[in-house]
Amino acid sequence: MKPSALAHARARSCGPLPLGPGAPAPAGMTRLTRADSTGQALPAWPDGATPSLLEEYQVPPVAVERSGETRRVLATVLKCCWTDLSVDPWPGVPAPVELVLDTYRALIGRTDDLMRNWAVGALRRLHDSAWVAVHDGLVSLGPRCALWPVESHAQLQELVRRIPEPDRAELTVVADADIVAAAEPAPGGGMRAETGAAEFDDLLGGYDERRRAELVAAYMAVEHAAEPVQEARFAALRDPALRHTLAEMLARRGRVLVQHRERWTSGYDDGCAPALEPHGPAAEGWALGVSERAVLTLVLVHSVAIPRAEGLLPEDSWLSPHPTPVEELRRHTQVPIGELESALRVLRHAGLLTQVKAGEEAGGYVPGPQFHRLTPAARRRLQEELILAAGPHTPLAAAVRARRSAP
Amino acid sequence: MSVDGLTLERVPEQPLTLDAALSEEAVLSTYRRMFAALARDSGAVVDDPVLVDIAETLFSAFAEAGEEWLTHEQMRFACRAYPADQFDNRLRVLKGLGAVREVFPKPNQLRYRASFTSVVGLMFIRRMMDDGGQSEMHRLLALEDLNVADPRTTMEEARQSAVNLARAFRLWALELVTLTTGTIEELREQAPKLWGTEEIARRAQGLHGTILTRWPELDRVCTDLRAAIYAYSDASRRAAGRLADSAGTTRNLTLLPTETWRTFSQTATKERLAAVLDGFLFDAPAPWHDPAAVARAVDEAPRPAPVQPTPPRSTLPDPGPEGSLDTSQSAATERLAQVAESLLGEASRVALADVIGSDWPSARRLLADLTTVDLRPELPYRLVWSDELSVDPGREPAWLSHGHLERTA
Repeated sequence: MKPSALAHARARSCGPLPLGPGAPAPAGMTRLTRADSTGQALPAWPDGATPSLLEEYQVPPVAVERSGETRRVLATVLKCCWTDLSVDPWPGVPAPVELVLDTYRALIGRTDDLMRNWAVGALRRLHDSAWVAVHDGLVSLGPRCALWPVESHAQLQELVRRIPEPDRAELTVVADADIVAAAEPAPGGGMRAETGAAEFDDLLGGYDERRRAELVAAYMAVEHAAEPVQEARFAALRDPALRHTLAEMLARRGRVLVQHRERWTSGYDDGCAPALEPHGPAAEGWALGVSERAVLTLVLVHSVAIPRAEGLLPEDSWLSPHPTPVEELRRHTQVPIGELESALRVLRHAGLLTQVKAGEEAGGYVPGPQFHRLTPAARRRLQEELILAAGPHTPLAAAVRARRSAP
Repeated sequence: MSVDGLTLERVPEQPLTLDAALSEEAVLSTYRRMFAALARDSGAVVDDPVLVDIAETLFSAFAEAGEEWLTHEQMRFACRAYPADQFDNRLRVLKGLGAVREVFPKPNQLRYRASFTSVVGLMFIRRMMDDGGQSEMHRLLALEDLNVADPRTTMEEARQSAVNLARAFRLWALELVTLTTGTIEELREQAPKLWGTEEIARRAQGLHGTILTRWPELDRVCTDLRAAIYAYSDASRRAAGRLADSAGTTRNLTLLPTETWRTFSQTATKERLAAVLDGFLFDAPAPWHDPAAVARAVDEAPRPAPVQPTPPRSTLPDPGPEGSLDTSQSAATERLAQVAESLLGEASRVALADVIGSDWPSARRLLADLTTVDLRPELPYRLVWSDELSVDPGREPAWLSHGHLERTA
């Protein structure tokens, strides 16, 4: 597999890719350069598209947890960090967390602790998804803000002007500027975003305007829709020739098409996981910790394996309508309760678990939409890993081991 | 267990579904296999599982009856849930095979007893039903292990046991091999009952080792046994392998029992659970916040709640009734003194009957006031009651206890 495809797979699974001093961004990525010429790389989309394209096709994008609140906090951060409206929003300047919280308070007109907790939670989610960076009591705009297209900057400027200034002059003990100056001696200087070369031109160049747009739309749909999309809705999925080109586009990003009857989505190429494995869980960036993986395994056992063994789950899928009760996770497992709550939060935010609510006490968690994206080989491997773990001495486990050791 | 060629009717209230028919067929096939060695000819084994239930009901009735034994009527009563012709048929067969016998072998014997052997046999059958003989094999191996280790065991006995085990393993392996080449559905259904866990193979090999160490002369028999064990392990692996190959992506999860899954989820350490997902790539959270969506979220922000408006007030000064009531301590005392004085007038003593009037509601209020006056030592009036009580139904109040209000000062 090409190194650039692997780099894309890594950026998708771990967040923005760290780059060494002067190292160029892999093909198809935007390089966000810091003053010391190190930087981060983020995948860019073909033909200036963004996931907002999905709205035109009425395909729901990946759900955002508490979307209204999260976006209001993002707007607040933008207000505090984007001080010079004559330049691009990213990188902006860092702002103290307290200023952000005060501005948010002024925006929604509530001053209670609950509001503050919600805002802090939203900041954490935005940090985890690289939309903002919270560090040492300072908030700055995250790398993903550099992906906002230039055309939309006017809308953002207008938005920032509408957000009220907080009324806090006499409360501040240390001036905001001093906090920022103390934390970062050389703020923001020399940071810039460099858009990478157009990556798919050799593939898309041969198509007319309409087909090209259809390919880009299908690409965005399989990559960013929450669920697999209907084949009938996208010409590039219906037509085998276009679909072939689509698969080639995806392959350059370490992705493959995954089919569910008449619906399509995309997943990691099966070659990606072993190739990324030697690097271990990324030292930088997002990765599932031990307790998160443990909780996810438990949900798979309770929502899929057990209903399957009882014959309640007819479909051959890793998604399930049988929720794992939170009580079951809390009371009958070896995962400490303190770690459970934060693990559930992380898994929910990543779309690995979906919360099912039913009445006051019932409900629980089922495997989330990410499980649509497992390739058949990955789904089979998941089954085998579960069997090896739960019944290591069964003939079935022996057969799995034998097949794996076979050349 | 012959049905003697009788045609039997099914219990009518149970509609026969495909699933029910399949499971009944599975039950019967085990019965047939169990007793194939004893049957006179094929078709001589029961062809309705209800017949076995009747036998079981009968045996438990016998167990409860104890030394009272059971008469024919009592047996019929115990099996009242089943149709009469099925019961008669069953009893005839059980009697014919000696499972139910007369207490004393005399003509016209009315009382019956059950055979212990048959009951044990039935228990064994039921257990075989559950796992196709796996746990029996475990027990058998454990027993044989004890036997061959026993100093009293002779070489001939050990040889016999090795031969028997070798035969059992060989037949077991053959059945698995046949299944493995058959349909995948049948394999999925039957294999977990038949294939051996590593533990059975290990036990069998342990037994084989014990025999060979103690009686090296038996090496030929032991070679046979070893070959049979290997053949069986191999057949198990092959059946599992075929299932693993044809499994789809979650279907094989059915092949581990629910209990195994529960035990795993409840006892596995965090690290063991996490290891399942090693090497799987998942997406980092990367929701897209479109500028338009951000602006929309700000527009939809909950507005600061407006201050509650106060209700409208009159523009004219209106102090209300406040102040018209004198709440001071002396006001109450003065009022009470006035009440007492107005009743007494010039006199120092008046009869209550003269002053309360005939209107009970106002008389009641007056009496309450006077009692208060009486209880206040600072007021110079007292009530004095006499024992006299006059009753006059025509008057109001009809019951009157007589008393006087007196001035004391």
